[in-house]
Formats: sequence, structure tokens, C-alpha cells
Amino acid sequence: MTVAAPRAETAPTAASPSIIGVFVRLKLSLMRGGLRRSRGRTVGWCVGVALAMLYALANGAGMIALRHNHYAPAVSVTVAVVLGIGWAVMPLFFFGGDDTLDPTRLAMLPLRPRPLLTALLISSLIGVGPLFTLLLGAGAVTSVANGPAAVVVAIFANALLLVFCVALSRAVAAANTRLLTSRKGRDLALLSGVFVAIGAQLVNLGLSSLSGTDGLRRATSAASVVRWIPPATAVDAVRSTGRGAYGLAAVQLAVTATALVLLLHWWHRSLHRLMVSPDASTIAASPEESTARGTAEGRSRLPLRLPSGRTGTVMQRQFRYMWRDPRAKAALATGLAVGLLLPLVAVVQHGSVYQCLWAAGLLGIQMYNQFGLDGSAFWTVMTAIADRRDAELELRGRAMAIALIAVPYVTVVTTGAALLLGRADALAETLGLSFAFVGALVATGGFASVRFPYAVPHDNPFANAAPGQSGLVMLNVFGGTVAGTALCLPVLGPVIALHLTGHHAFLWLALPVGALYGAALAALSLRLTAPRLLDRLPEILATVRG
Amino acid sequence: MAQESESTPARADRGAPLPYYGAAGGTGQAQGGATAAGPVPAVRIRGLWKRFGEQAAVAGIELDLPAGRFIGLVGPNGAGKTTTLSMVTGLLRPDDGLVQVNGHDVWSDPVAVKSRIGVLPEGLRLFERLSGRELLAYTGRLRGLPGDEVDKRTAQLLDVLDLTAAQHKLVVDYSTGMRKKIGLAAALLHNPEVLFLDEPFEGVDPVSAQVIRGVLERYTAAGGTVVFSSHVMELVESLCDWVAVMAAGRIVAHGPLAEVRGAAPTLQDAFLSLVGADRRTGQDLDWLGGGSR
Repeated sequence: MTVAAPRAETAPTAASPSIIGVFVRLKLSLMRGGLRRSRGRTVGWCVGVALAMLYALANGAGMIALRHNHYAPAVSVTVAVVLGIGWAVMPLFFFGGDDTLDPTRLAMLPLRPRPLLTALLISSLIGVGPLFTLLLGAGAVTSVANGPAAVVVAIFANALLLVFCVALSRAVAAANTRLLTSRKGRDLALLSGVFVAIGAQLVNLGLSSLSGTDGLRRATSAASVVRWIPPATAVDAVRSTGRGAYGLAAVQLAVTATALVLLLHWWHRSLHRLMVSPDASTIAASPEESTARGTAEGRSRLPLRLPSGRTGTVMQRQFRYMWRDPRAKAALATGLAVGLLLPLVAVVQHGSVYQCLWAAGLLGIQMYNQFGLDGSAFWTVMTAIADRRDAELELRGRAMAIALIAVPYVTVVTTGAALLLGRADALAETLGLSFAFVGALVATGGFASVRFPYAVPHDNPFANAAPGQSGLVMLNVFGGTVAGTALCLPVLGPVIALHLTGHHAFLWLALPVGALYGAALAALSLRLTAPRLLDRLPEILATVRG
Repeated sequence: MAQESESTPARADRGAPLPYYGAAGGTGQAQGGATAAGPVPAVRIRGLWKRFGEQAAVAGIELDLPAGRFIGLVGPNGAGKTTTLSMVTGLLRPDDGLVQVNGHDVWSDPVAVKSRIGVLPEGLRLFERLSGRELLAYTGRLRGLPGDEVDKRTAQLLDVLDLTAAQHKLVVDYSTGMRKKIGLAAALLHNPEVLFLDEPFEGVDPVSAQVIRGVLERYTAAGGTVVFSSHVMELVESLCDWVAVMAAGRIVAHGPLAEVRGAAPTLQDAFLSLVGADRRTGQDLDWLGGGSR
């Protein structure tokens, strides 16, 4: 206790320049350190930054070109709101990647929340994201800045917009630190990629529905609401100034500033709470609670009724993993969603029924890099594979788990698309080709999993392969697709021949032939791959443990 | 003091075919049973080599580990303990050398070896998105045990290892001690003859450590062989009756505990002199202690 008192006196009470300087240097060092880890990462970062800057410049230039356009105000406030939303959800994606986002790392230092907040805010303004925001914001305010007074307000508004966005991001991160550092939060971040992809499709649909003149009028009326949402208020204040409505501009700036103060207050409270309350995540739950929760989580939903066979055991493990592992789930969900989306596009655009083959392809490629997702847990598979038979059953279980999803799914999607397109006559041959394609991809995927495995990194939700292995990924994807298509030729060739020679009456034969061929091809390939799996077990482990 | 096992890097035939699982007529000759030289050791290692680039992680190990003992493999960090255990258990392919478990060659007779050994590696994950109970259920079935037997053993192991309350929790949410315990349960499920544990007590709380210790002692009392690696000498001294000391990829001493310890007061002292590490004193840290700042 006698030591604590003098220490507290020496702790800085205000945001002294030294603390801010330390944090700015810390941020720069962390950025540099992140890049130093590998040359590939540095190159990727530079390319990413260059593209982002190009985009920001092009977008800003486009906005400036919109000056005096009727829709410029609507576009500028929309940009501001989109930037705000982007910054608010960003911690979800990048929390693990940015160490300075996690205030609990600073909990042991004698820092008070207020100077810490100032220092964190200023250091947050450094980086690519803020620069990107600044450029986009500059375009937005310039597009509506008319007159010298408006230009002065525009400079102020852009700064306010930037600080607001950064503070929003920080406040959201601080308030959700406990969630974002937990396992569930990281799982959520992994799955969020799929949500964003699907969301982007919805936005795409929304935009195309706005493409008519009526749509643009609706967009303008929506903008009349949006301009009152901070940080859009700051941008709209520029327009109000340009029109001479100084009172309105003052109110809008005041709204933005008030919102910023409230944000900072929220952030301050979260920071204070994080730095004085202990981390409860390692405190063991009481046995009754964990038993109750465990029962709800694991037992009641999936009763533990296992077949005694090895294939069945492997299949059940795979199904559980597809549901519980965010990576496996994301891969499967993407395959299912895109596999549905592309035939749907065909239906909407009155395209070809053969676009249903996408569904077969996207589910078939799930067989690729089977052991990469196991990661270092592959050793448990390895210790249980002693002979060729074990290896074959392991591969077969994994293939069956995929087939059990792919075959019904492909059947439903293809049937639905064929009926909606009014091409019920082509259903049999399309299905036959689909089954042959699934079989061919399972066959080549099993082989590629054994011969060309690659590690899937566990720390980066967006990386598909560990650094230096992206060549293998390309080999898997392109080589696999080409080989799979080539293997389909014994079914595809006769189908084309029947079409060319006009023997349409025999096309139904493609269904049984394709299904049998696909199944036989997969079974044969897995049988031939099994000894290679047995031989390469240590090499696969060395590769996938990453 | 045990004799130095001076393993010379005599194996110059680097181009020789590497051992493969199931390779017909491998290097393993003694297929079970006692030989003229006495009882078959639990583990026999001859000329074991592993290089990573220029560095030899394991440089020609020759070692016989007696059956039915509690054996400690000790050495400083980077001595090659994990690499050795990985090669002995078939997880890592050696560059050269022979490994037999109870007379069966690890690389030419994997069927015989894999059913006889249990492994708890360090730094490798389990299937963590399974609950503890599911993990054991799948492991047992993949090892070819009948389902009823697996469920019976699973319940008993979970009970003895104090994991029953957490049996439905996902392993990814387990603490370090719980992970070690569930890993040990998975390694014991098929009742192996030899158990290989890499740093089983690393990061484990005292309560879990005591539970693990109790299970291992019961296992060796019933005739099982435990080979475990550690760098905590007090632990090895209190648990093991036979030790092998590794340094820089070689075995520098091996034998019964008392023999290796020799005249030194503790195993720690014997170990430090064996690996050539003097106790360093912090002479330059004169500012440390004695008032703040």
C-alpha cells in the first residue's frame, strides 16, 4: 500500500503530449510489426492500400463531378451514413487484427480513462481506414459546398465526420470487448463474411430496383430522413450553409457534436468499466449451470446415437463440425447459398437449365482440402488409421457426409429450376450430369486432399490458406475443376452426341448413367487414394498443422 | 551416473528409402516375444535422426525404455523431446532410424503399434468443436472398440478425471487442465500398453495435476508403461523411477532415477551439470529491489 500512493501521483492526470506521443508511436510500431511478419503480407497490404486509395480517389472525384447535380445532396448524406455504419461494424471484422482496439491490454498500466481516451482517439486517426474516410468525406462535402462560407464549414464538417466515425468504431469495440475477445465473438466474425456476402446481394437487388426514375425520387425522399442521422448531419450542414440557412447549419453541426460527445461519454464509461473490473471469462461456471447449459447445447439437439461402423462415426463427426465449426459452416453455407443463387439468376433471366450444374460444382468442391480444416487435430485421425481399410473408411465417411447433403440439394434445386424454366424435359439429363459432376469432384477432391493438402490458418478469418500456400489453393481449385470436368466427359460426351444427332428420346438415360457413373467414380477414387493417405499421414499432418 | 550413450552420426546412407507405414518387410525384425538379449523393451530406438534444414533436432538417439516403468524424458527447451516423441509415436517421419514399441516396428507395422500406444501430444489440437463426451465416443469408435464398451469406459474416465460436469461442454471452451485431462482420457480409452505424454503437466493447475497423477500411477501399477516429457525436475523426481536426459538432440544420460541422480543432492542439480548449464547469477541487475524507480 505504501508503494501505491506515490505511484498514483506520478500517473498523468491529463492527456499529456508524452502519452499521446507514446500511443501514436505504439500504433505505428504495431502497423510496422504486423507487416514485418512476412513479405507476402507486406505486398498484400500495399496492394490493398493502393486499391483502397484508388477507390477513394475515384469515388471522391465522382462526387465532386456531381456538384450542382440534383442528386448530390442525397448522395453525399448517404455516403456519410454508409461510412458511419462501416466504422460501426468494423471492430467485428478487425478486432483480432488490431491490438490497440482491445483496451484490456492496457489495464495493468497506471493510466486514467480520460487521457487514455484522448490518446487512443488520436492514435486511431492514423491508418489507412481514416485516410480512406477522409478522402471519401472530402468528396462528399465538396459535392455540396457552394460559396466561401460553405467551404469553411466543409473543412470543419469533414474533420467532424472523421472523428465521429473513429470514435464510433472505438466505442462499439470497447462496449463489446468481452464479446469480441470471446470464442463466440470470434466465431461470429468468421460467419460475418457470409452475412456480408449475402447482404451485398440484397443491396445489389435494392440498387437495381432503384434504377428507374421513380426509384431515384424515392431515394431523394429517403435522403431527407438520412440527413438527420449523424454523421450525415455534418455533411448536410455544408449544404445548408451554401443555401444561406445558417441557423439550420448550426443546428446540424450541433447535433453532430452532441452525438460525438455522447459517443465519447459511452466510450469513456466502457473504458472505465473494462479497466477496473476483472476479466470474468476464466472463472469456472458452477457445475449445475454448466450441466444445464451443456444439456441444452449438446445433448438434447443431437442425441448421441452412433452407429458402430467407422464410416458412420466419421460422418457424424463431420456433420457436427459443419454445424459447429464456423469455418466449415461458412464454407458449406456459401456453397449452398451460391449454389441456389446461380440457378435462381438463370430462372430470373430465363437462362439455361444447365446453370444448375453450379449447385453440383459448389457442393462437390467441399471435398477438397478435407484435412486442412482439421488442422493439427488431424493427429487424432492419424493415430486411428492403422491400415488401408481404416484410411478408405475415413475418406468414405467424409465423402458420404458431403454426398448426403449434395445429392438431395442438387435434386431439389435442379428440379425446381427446371420446372420454373418450363424445361422439365431437360431435368433428367441435367440431374444425371449433376450427379456425375458431384461424383467426379468428390473423386478428385479426395485425391487432392491427400496429395495437395494446405493449412487453413486459424487466426485470420478471411485467409483461405496459410502464407506461401496460395499456389496450392489455386492448383486445388483450377486443377480440380478441370480434372472433374474431364472426368465427366464419359457422360457429357454422349449427352452432347444425342443432342447433335437428334435422339432426344434417349436423353433420360443420362440420369441413371450419370448417377451410377458418379458413385462408381467416387468409390473407385477413394479406394485408390486410401493407400496414399496411409503413406502420407505424417506429411499431411506436417502441412495442415500450419 | 549412467553411462554416456555416445551415438555417433554414423548413418551416412542419407539416400536410403525412408520408412513408410505398411511398407512390406520394413526394418523391424523382432515381432513380439522375448529375445535372447532379455525381455523386450517397451520402446527400442536405434540411430534416430531428424533434421530441420541445417539443424539436427534429433541427432542419432540410441535408447531402450524398460516396460512397466514410469519413465521421464527430461531436457531443456529445444532439446528435441517433442520431436523424439513425435517420431516414436508415428506422428513425424524420421530421416533415419528404427523405432520399435513392444517389439513392433512403428513404421512397418502400424496396425500392431497404433493399437498398443496412447498419445497425448503437446501443441496439437483435438477436435475441439466436439463436447468432451462426444470426443471420447468418436475416438473409441474410430479405434474400433464396440459402442457399448466405449460408452462405459467414457463414463468411467470422465468420472475419474473429474470431467463429468463438463462432459457436454465443447472442448474449445475447456481450460488447459481440462484439455489435458480429456486428451489423457482419449489416449487411455483403448487401454494401450505404452502411454506417451508430451508435457502432460504444462499449464495444469495443481488439482488437475493431482488427478492426472493418480490416474497415471494407477495405470503403471497395473503394468502399463508411461513415457512422459517434462522440464520440471521436481515433478520428474517425484513421479518417475526411470529417466532419460536429452540435450541438443542427444541422450546424455539414462537409467533408473537414483543412478542418473548419482551423488548430486537433487535431480535438478544432476540435470544442470549434465546439460552443462551453470546457475547464473544476476550480477548486473543491481537496481532490482530496494525501493521503487
